[in-house]
Amino acid sequence: MTALRIAGGTVYDPANGIDGEVRDICIDNGRIVATAGPDAKVLDARGMVVMPGGVDIHSHVASSSVNLARRLLPEEHIPDPVPAPDLRDDVVPRSGTGGTVPSTFTTGYRYAGLGYTTVFDAAVAPVTARLSHAEFDDTPIVDGGFFVLLGNDEYLLRLIDAGERERAREYAAWVMTATGGYAIKIVNPGGVELWKRGARERTDLDTAIGSSRVTPRAILETLVDAGNTLKLPHAAHIHCNNLGAAGNVSTTLGSMRALEGRRAHFTHLQFHAYGATVEGGWRSGARELIEYVNAHPEVTGDVGQVMFGPAATLTADGPVEYLLAKSTGRKWLNVDIELETGCGIVPYTYKEKAAVSALQWAVGLELFLLSTDPWRIVLSTDHPNGGSFLAYPELIRLLMDRTYREEKLKTVNQKLLAGSALLDGLTREYTLSEVAIVTRAAPARILGLTGKGHLGVGADADVTVYASDPDFSKMFATPRYVVKAGVLVVEEGQLRRAPAGRRLHVRPEYDRQIEHGLRGYFDRYSTVSFDNYSIGPLPDAPVSVGQTVSGPPGGPARSTAGGR
Amino acid sequence: MSPAGDRSGAPAGARQPQDHVIESVTCLGCGCSCDDIRVQVRDGRIARAGNACALGEAWFGDGRVPARTRVVDRDVSIGDAIDAVAAVLAHAKAPLIYLAPDVSCETQREAVALADILHASLDTVTTSTALASIVAAQERGRAGATLGEVRNRADVLLFWGVDPHARYPRYLSRYAPEPQGVHVGGRGARTVIAVDIGERPGPADADVRVDVPADEEVDTLLALEAIVRNPATPIAGALWTRARDIAERLTPAKYAVIVADAEAGDTGAHSTRGSQLARASALIAVAQSLNDQTRCGLSTLRAGGNRAGADSVLTSQTGYPAAVSFIHGFPTYRPFDAPTPDAVLVIGAANLIPDAVTQAWGEAARLVVGPRASEHGAAHVAIDTGIAGIHHAGTALRMDDVPLRLRQVIDGPANPLDMLRRLMRVTKSGAAEGPPLPMRTAQESTR
Repeated sequence: MTALRIAGGTVYDPANGIDGEVRDICIDNGRIVATAGPDAKVLDARGMVVMPGGVDIHSHVASSSVNLARRLLPEEHIPDPVPAPDLRDDVVPRSGTGGTVPSTFTTGYRYAGLGYTTVFDAAVAPVTARLSHAEFDDTPIVDGGFFVLLGNDEYLLRLIDAGERERAREYAAWVMTATGGYAIKIVNPGGVELWKRGARERTDLDTAIGSSRVTPRAILETLVDAGNTLKLPHAAHIHCNNLGAAGNVSTTLGSMRALEGRRAHFTHLQFHAYGATVEGGWRSGARELIEYVNAHPEVTGDVGQVMFGPAATLTADGPVEYLLAKSTGRKWLNVDIELETGCGIVPYTYKEKAAVSALQWAVGLELFLLSTDPWRIVLSTDHPNGGSFLAYPELIRLLMDRTYREEKLKTVNQKLLAGSALLDGLTREYTLSEVAIVTRAAPARILGLTGKGHLGVGADADVTVYASDPDFSKMFATPRYVVKAGVLVVEEGQLRRAPAGRRLHVRPEYDRQIEHGLRGYFDRYSTVSFDNYSIGPLPDAPVSVGQTVSGPPGGPARSTAGGR
Repeated sequence: MSPAGDRSGAPAGARQPQDHVIESVTCLGCGCSCDDIRVQVRDGRIARAGNACALGEAWFGDGRVPARTRVVDRDVSIGDAIDAVAAVLAHAKAPLIYLAPDVSCETQREAVALADILHASLDTVTTSTALASIVAAQERGRAGATLGEVRNRADVLLFWGVDPHARYPRYLSRYAPEPQGVHVGGRGARTVIAVDIGERPGPADADVRVDVPADEEVDTLLALEAIVRNPATPIAGALWTRARDIAERLTPAKYAVIVADAEAGDTGAHSTRGSQLARASALIAVAQSLNDQTRCGLSTLRAGGNRAGADSVLTSQTGYPAAVSFIHGFPTYRPFDAPTPDAVLVIGAANLIPDAVTQAWGEAARLVVGPRASEHGAAHVAIDTGIAGIHHAGTALRMDDVPLRLRQVIDGPANPLDMLRRLMRVTKSGAAEGPPLPMRTAQESTR
């Protein structure tokens, strides 16, 4: 593999305390090295901005549900055909289609073209894990992994009902290993199971799920403790109850308080940060939520920003999509999945002139701008739910450019914005260093990926080089160079190489006794044989379990060592 | 293409003793894809497929398949046959790659790649059999459930003009109504409604029977949807009374499941594409509307051989589930226009392709890579392969899109995945630019 020297760029590497210093970044054998030999290929990055490759902590790109959304939306693919790129390596270049849910190869190319080199799919039903691996195999360039849905899993609920929380932890470990997953995902804990039983009402933290011992609170505690006791690199990844509902900020804060002092990641917070008016309508609850987060260093989150334009809402939270379909009249897909989880999909368009869309947009920006710790509140649009990942550059401009943001604010529906901090004129502008934190350094650290999100010696050689531009949306949309694992994939703004990415997964140890009870459960109720459930070994070595994340939350890491 | 490679476990084959049993084998005899088959192997042949139904036993057979490779009527090496296929495809102006049943998802993925670089058309058996249910779901969405949910929750099952006994024999014992589920008891605790539509009866042992004349099928579904959406809908005439009787059985359910066959062969002799679409759309609408009052999922029956896998793989890589053309250098979706190819590469079991499809190919050169390819008289080039799930490991999708592991149970001829990879190498290298083949079939040359 060729050595590379990215010469003379202005480097933003916040994990190593480097904030806009002109220096060379050297690469050899897929890793960042201290110096490169005289034969190294030199990329002239003078006047350009150099950052680690982007890390997407929460996206939907490779799962059975994503593929159902693809199938549901031919009308989006037709106007966005994607010819095969003109590659210079010996990889077969592949065509595809775009829209809010692009085809697999196109997804990989477009992420890399945006300077992102690591992507996690946030919601995979365990029984469908084989499909996710196959889709990641067809999603080139990016390293990928997925979070495994457990918050409505029948076997887990049974263990909680029996008071067997230690066995629940062993079960979670077994599921991670059986599926090749990376982290525990909880979606509307207990609420999806209630929806399958016909319930329509809100699920609160102490709502009984069949038994008074099984509540969303108990599910959250059990799975968050499991992730932390197993020392998984990423904490349990939580999508709270009552997504989208007016007044749901009380549920979100209640969930955070229930887990106070425990490492936990709360996802797409924007969708969970609504207050209620006296009449029961929506208002912003962002300030209340972010004040709690700011004061609690154990909490991390991603925003799930809404961006105006077409989106595909797709989630394991089936009841939410039922309500959305009812309120929009748009086509609705629901699939209940094997005593494990659900899946709902509704296409949606966020409009500047629509009051709720405008409020959602504002709530997301409030969370970003009121957050005091960029290491703990990071960037996402919950692609494709709040908008496509292709909208990240526009979102970065909104964060960095106050004038642009205020102009945009004037164009949106103001009806529900009373009480939004955005109307008070939030003056904050993200710096390039803060953008580097919320798009790569912090997500990598929250995910426990010690070799990613920074440019210290030994780190994975995932590097993005942007030509400076006063329009930050242009700057971040078209990197001049992208290097993935030492391979120059984007050269002079063109995608030129498309190597396969690595699979990020964990294999925690578990008590083999758990398999005995599980086999009996499978024999009684499952439609898939226990012997066929596990996906078997993966070619990439697992990410190590048992090391907690280096460095205090909220500052640069003490050590700059890479390694995995 | 696949850095993760074959994840499906070690092959049995040569490392196993002469006589042995392989547990938890997946059967692709129909879309039920039962994965509890106990295969006894004796002398390198399948002696018994335990737990399998009659369809499954026929699908496994004794595992023997031909292992010939021929160009026109000459036996040749695999390398020569690959070169011949590549040469025909390179010279074709309108090549078609056609995915027949009995190949793994891994093979299907490689076939899409080949169609992409050749700028070929790409189609599957789904287009001529089950496309109506897919297109209807693209227009309306759908309310569905995987078979595990059907097994564990469905307390009311409505079989809409289908008795699974014939074409999906173990549906009833493996999924519903017979098993004891987590949230519902066995057969006695479930209500089975048979809707007999013309010559298509529901299950014989149903608790309730409703007769629907074949020409009133779609209208009955539309009336049913109307009544479910608005129980105060005025009822007039026999059709509406029948619809109300069905609605009154469905709405008290905790979790209703409507079972319908998506394969066109079962929707009546006079059905047109338009009427199939109307039927599929109305079935979806009924299932969706029932979710306003209770929970309901539509269980769509699909035939075997990993057809659902082809739909999923095409969607994943192109955005479209079937009927794709790469002629412009990117995928386009042409569900209602059959291509007119001048060369067809069939991947999979050619004997399972509907006659109407092969007839539409006319004089196009036929290249067949799949199980029993050499028995396909019209093939210019035939490469016999093994069958996915018998001779090769891999992945297949059940009718409800749940992925399942395929095991190798005995050794067999070439793996079609390897054949496609070799074909891809030859195609990429440009070595296929040589002279075209003489275009005569084995049949023609023996006349």
